[in-house]
This record gives sequence, C-alpha cells and structure tokens, in this order.
Amino acid sequence: MALATQTPSEARARSLRVRLIPYIDRFGILLLVLLMLAIGTITQPDVFLTWRNLSNIPGQNAANAALAIGMFVVIVTAGIDLSVGSVLVLAMMTTAVLARAQALPPILLVFVPILVGIGVGLFNGLGLTVLRLPHPFIVTLGTLNIARGLANLISGGVPISGLPSEVRFLGNGVIPIGDVQIPVSLVVIAVLYVGFWVFLQYTRTGRHLYAIGGNPQAARVSGINVERTLVLAYVLCGATAGLAGLLVAGRTNSGFPNAGIGAELDAISAVIIGGASFFGGRGSVLGVLAGVLVIGLLRNILNLNDVQVFWQQVLIGLVIILAVFIDVLRRRAGSASD
Amino acid sequence: MTQNNLRLLGSAVALAFGVAACAAPPPAAAPQPPAQPQQPAAPAAEPIRILVSMKGPGGGNPFWAAVERGALEKGKELGVEVIVLAPPAESDVQAQIAQVEDQIAKGVKAIAIAPTDPAALRPVLERAQQQGIKVLFIDTKGDLPGATFIGTNNELGAKLGVDYLCKNLPKGSKVAILQGIIVQSTGKARADGARTGLTECGMNIVAELSAEWDRAKATSVMEDILTRHPDIQGVFASNDNMALGAVEALKNAGVNDKVIVVGFDANPDAAAAILAGEMEATVAQNPYNMGAFGVENALKLIRGETIPEVIDTGTELVTKENAERYK
Repeated sequence: MALATQTPSEARARSLRVRLIPYIDRFGILLLVLLMLAIGTITQPDVFLTWRNLSNIPGQNAANAALAIGMFVVIVTAGIDLSVGSVLVLAMMTTAVLARAQALPPILLVFVPILVGIGVGLFNGLGLTVLRLPHPFIVTLGTLNIARGLANLISGGVPISGLPSEVRFLGNGVIPIGDVQIPVSLVVIAVLYVGFWVFLQYTRTGRHLYAIGGNPQAARVSGINVERTLVLAYVLCGATAGLAGLLVAGRTNSGFPNAGIGAELDAISAVIIGGASFFGGRGSVLGVLAGVLVIGLLRNILNLNDVQVFWQQVLIGLVIILAVFIDVLRRRAGSASD
Repeated sequence: MTQNNLRLLGSAVALAFGVAACAAPPPAAAPQPPAQPQQPAAPAAEPIRILVSMKGPGGGNPFWAAVERGALEKGKELGVEVIVLAPPAESDVQAQIAQVEDQIAKGVKAIAIAPTDPAALRPVLERAQQQGIKVLFIDTKGDLPGATFIGTNNELGAKLGVDYLCKNLPKGSKVAILQGIIVQSTGKARADGARTGLTECGMNIVAELSAEWDRAKATSVMEDILTRHPDIQGVFASNDNMALGAVEALKNAGVNDKVIVVGFDANPDAAAAILAGEMEATVAQNPYNMGAFGVENALKLIRGETIPEVIDTGTELVTKENAERYK
C-alpha cells in the first residue's frame, strides 16, 4: 500500500529488503552461530573443530539447553520463570538424597527430578492463575528461594557424591557408533527440541501459547482456556528444569547445593539471543537452540584461548545486547515495509 | 607413575605437619569462672557475651559447623557465653549486618566475625567499636584498620598444595590452575599462591581459568583444557568441588591415572576420592581453630590484652595417608 507512493528505485530497493526479511528472520541467529564457529576455527585451528572438542559441546550445554527450552515456553506467553536454577538444584538434591538412602530402585530415581520439577512448576502456575499474583516474576521469585531452601534442608547443604549409573546415564553416558562416541545428552537434547518444536508448531495447545503471549485478551475472547494453558507452560518449564538437574547430576556424579546459582540468567539469555520477545508471542525453537549454542561456543572458545573469566562475562553481555540490537533493526526494517 | 613417589609424599606430609605446628595456638588463657564480677557494665550474674558471626549456617556446611563447634567448646572452657549466628546464605550481606546490629543492642562485649562482604560490614563494625565492643575477624579478613585476622593463610595453603605437584612431577611438566572467583580475597590468594609455587619450582602453567568454585563448571573447563593440552600432567584446583569436577572430565577422557589432581578444603567427598585414587591431594584448613581462637582472642581483647594482628590457623596437606580422618 505504502509502496504505491514511492519512486520505482526506492520501491525496488525496499522490495529486495522485504524479500530478504523472512530469511534473516529465520536464519539471522544461525549466522551468529556460524560466526562463532569461524572465530573458533581461526583462533584454534588445530583444536576447535576436532571431534575431541566438539564432542564436549553437548555435555557442556545440555543443562542450559534443557532450561532454555522450558524458559522459552514461558517467555512465549509473555511470562518469566526465575525459579529454574533452584528447581535444578532441588531436583538434583532430592535425587541424590534418595539415591544415598537407597529408597527407590535406581531406574525409578530417573523420574524423581522430573516430578520435582513438575511439582514446582505446578505451584508457579497455580500461584499465577489461582492466587492471581500480579506477575510471574513474583511467584517464581518466591519459588526461587523456596526451592533452594528446600534443597539445602533435605541435604543439610552438603554435597552428595556417587550416584547410580542409571541416574548418570542421561547426563554422562555415551552411545558408541563405530569409532564415534555419541553423548547421550546430545540425544536427550535432540529429542527434547524436536518434541517441543512439534508441540509448539503443530498442536492446538502449542499455538495457544503463542496466542496468549501475543494478546491474552484476544486469546481469552476467542475461547482459549488461558489459565489452564499458562499452568501447563510453567509445568513444562519446571519439568525441563528438573531434567536439567538430572543432567548436571549425571555429569558431575553428585548433588551439590550450589548448583544452578544464576542458571536462570543463562537460560533467559539463550532465549533472548535466540530472537524471542520478552513481550511474548514471538520466537522459535531453532532460535533457542542457536542461543544456547552461541553462549556455549563463546565459553568454549574463550576457555580454549585461556581468556579469563572477567572477559567472558563482558563478552557474553555484549553478545546479548548485540543479538537483541540486530533483532530490533530487523523488526524496524520489517515494520517499515508494512 | 604418579603414585609411586611415596617417599616424596611422606616428606610433603611431614612438611604439612611442620606448617601446622608453626601455627599451633598460643597457650590457652586460664579458664575463667562463669560469673565476671570485674565487669562493671554487666550485672554481676551476667556472663561475658561474645558474638561469633559466620558467613553461612553450620547446619548447611561442615566448614561452618566446625567453626561453630570450636567457638562453643572454647566458650564453655573459658566460661563465656558464645552466641553463634549466620545469615541463611553467604551472599546475604544484609542479614548479617542486621544480626550484628541486634547483638550490639543486646550488649555483646566482643564480635568475632567472618564478613560476607568486608566493605558492607565496615560501618556497623565501626559503630560497635565506638561503643567499646572489641572486633576481630575470623576466616575472611575484614576492612577495619588494626583489627586482628584469625584464619587460613590461603596463599601458603595453595603453595602447600602445589608443592605436592612440584615434588611428584618432573620440571617443565604441563600443569593447569582452576581458579575460584578471584574477586574474592580467598580466590585470589589461592590462585596467587598456586601460581607462585608452580612457577618457582619450574612447572609449565599452560592454563589458568576460573570455574567459579563450581563443580559442573570445572568439568567443562577441564574438558576444554584437555582438548587444548591432552598431555597435561597436573591440576591444582582452588577448592575440592572444582577438583572433583575436573576428575569427572579426566575420567571421561580416560586419563584420570595420568594426571595428578590437587584440591583445597579437604571436604569429605575429596577425602573419599583421594582414598579411591581419583585425586591425589587436598589442603585442609582448620575451621575448628578459627572458632576456638576467635573466642579465645576476643576474651583477651575484652580483658585489655594485646593480640597479634594476624593469627594463622594452619593448613595441612591431605593425601592417601591421612585422608581417612577427613571422610
């Protein structure tokens, strides 16, 4: 419509931009991942692209990947879940305490962290919808404290080392295929992400989550059960945080009470770098995965180059701002073309 | 090949005991009768009250539990009333300040404190001093000129730990340091001590990275170090949690028996790992002494005696030979 009043050359330039936008929209963040891969290869040509290094990446990022996908579901509804780091540690310590007490057959222990996560998630969801606490920030800030306190209470705040191999399998196991050892955590994350992608793209409830984030009032009017769907979002987020606890427990062969401090911030960073909007209704599963990889690769590359942790903090902060700024530019370009 | 230097190990242990002996406590003050009639400010029946303010609750951490035990037992021995308090978390600075304020109001005569944040605690401790309350620091050095510090010399402790690497590895071996959070004085002192010690004995430090005291982060950082330097021979971690995290990475890479891992803190898990041959050594602090010396010296200050500005509570190298005691 607006195009009609423009000169032909302007229109052509704009239309090129308009045609590029969907691609940048979908793959822009992947460019950032490719850039990271390039920097890694250039600075550590003999090391970075070796299987030995690459096979470390899934294990190093599996927990954040699990946290981030749950966080994404909540952020899509324009919510936030600050409790995931504490859910992680509560899930982990509950499992470790039960393992030490030999209270359950080891194979059943695997379900414990997920159930703990679902429990806290349910509490978050009901706090938001039944207690009508004004913003998810509040109830999840509450459970951030409650869950970490409970984790310390049940364990006495002392690390518990030595977990059964069944508990360790998802976080630390490998599947040998020929000469190559595939980390089980990679398979877990792949299944998780494909599952969430199908759920969010192709199920009615998945689309409802986007709709609620885009415009809760419109969603309610069009017959969506907003409350029930929101509770589901927080339950899913809790469940993935519980899974993250299982992965960290497996990887470190222990439950330790300081696990997951600040983990919610890494998860939120990954979601935001991946192009989701804090105001809900926007973002993709692929973007979240890319966001997780950007943070993970950045740490990996900085470690390989012996860069001290202060610079790591600075650079991760810059990447968050840069990624969101690119997003803003992209959207400004998009809205100008309407 | 790393484990067969037992003779050297023996001498390292001997050295450790030497250091511990140097730091032996000054002779205990004569026990006081429970009532303190010579204290004019307090009513005759009321005993001297000393606040021991820790960074974290004893119920949550064996380290603080030992500080608490040391303080309470010494208090009983000396006949003073010892109040042990701690904020719910080591990051909860406000809660610690509030607890100190409340105890000043309740009339304690001395405060032995492990400050969660030295700068933030300074104003309240200055106020205490103005009211004639004696202040000294335990575990973590605070920000108050002239106040005595009673705790581990972390730099010497780290040197004691890396000494084990020096004695068990040939000159020029590739070693790595896993640092804690080095904006904290403990993290910095341990990183500095390790660096100095390893440089002095001619080791080749190929990586110095922070894993922020965290076990999971240490596994990731150790993986990255191994990727870059597969032939690494020794690792010093500034705490045991990171050492145990590094051990997981080494086990997964199948090189656990080729790399000497030394930690710091002597927590029970590390002691178990040492006995299992997964890591070789750690450095024990003496938190019990921090509590006990804290109370003892606080009482000396109340009585107007002078005490040294720094009192080392000692460190000890823990290896297979003595790890059983720390399990």
